[in-house]
Amino acid sequence: MENQQSPQPQPALDNFFNLVFDENTRTNIRTAAQWARIAAICNFVGYAIGLVVAFFGRPTQYTQYTQSDEGNRITAVTQTSSILGALIAVAIGVCINYFLYRFATRTVQGMDAMDSVKSNEGFNDLRLYFKICGIIVIVVLSLCVLGMFFGVIAGLSSLRS
Amino acid sequence: MENEQQDSLQMHLDYDGGNILKRAVRWSHFLGILGIVVMAILILVVALAGSVMVATFSKFAPGFESLAGAGGAIVIIIFVLLLGFCIYIAYMLYRFSALTRKGIELQDQAAFAKGMECLKTYFVLAGVVCVLSLLSNLFSLTRLF
Repeated sequence: MENQQSPQPQPALDNFFNLVFDENTRTNIRTAAQWARIAAICNFVGYAIGLVVAFFGRPTQYTQYTQSDEGNRITAVTQTSSILGALIAVAIGVCINYFLYRFATRTVQGMDAMDSVKSNEGFNDLRLYFKICGIIVIVVLSLCVLGMFFGVIAGLSSLRS
Repeated sequence: MENEQQDSLQMHLDYDGGNILKRAVRWSHFLGILGIVVMAILILVVALAGSVMVATFSKFAPGFESLAGAGGAIVIIIFVLLLGFCIYIAYMLYRFSALTRKGIELQDQAAFAKGMECLKTYFVLAGVVCVLSLLSNLFSLTRLF
């Protein structure tokens, strides 16, 4: 009796074969991929514009400080920080949108050629896109929570003193 | 016989593809829920403290002094509508993940197809937002130089 094993649930190896990419689904995926490509290209162009503005745009002038050493220093610091911020934002954005673009290209190829391998590669790029977005959101939220925590501590300590 | 021939011509979701989609759906589920919650909080903030925010903004932004009056209410309504649109995009992402997961786990072809339709809606709306933001970027570029 002890040796009798209860029937194990079948590994879902061939379960997925019941799902079909019919004509309607393939059209939907193709449209999604085409719009994803448009979004990725728009974002790439946007990042290029952002870099151009950060490097060659007029720096913000603080009228109360102009014509002084302090004013020049503030302008230089503002310009450096805006260039640094733009570089970080562009690096992250290009990384994310690269996967979105790859998803678009490979999925359309896979759907057109009815090629499962290409489609899977496309879906894998979509997974990486969502994953990187999720990780960035977690990091940003953690920084916000940390900032609020330190803000509350600073507020409490200033109240005590 | 005809059905078998048709079936062999169709493209099936294989084991690897199903696994990849399942993992993709996990992250999109998280992003969808988070998007809905954050946008809902923002709508609450704008609805409750919108007039104070607009009044403060109009003090510091030159040329926007008239916002403190009746124009402020219009700005708040536009903000709420935009946030509602963002909630709809996040909801589409959530529906994509929920329906695709249901389709894969229960072998439900209809749910799977609906999930892919939601993915299409999500990317169409996101694409429109990206095109509009690019246009506004180009506009700001012309004003800078």
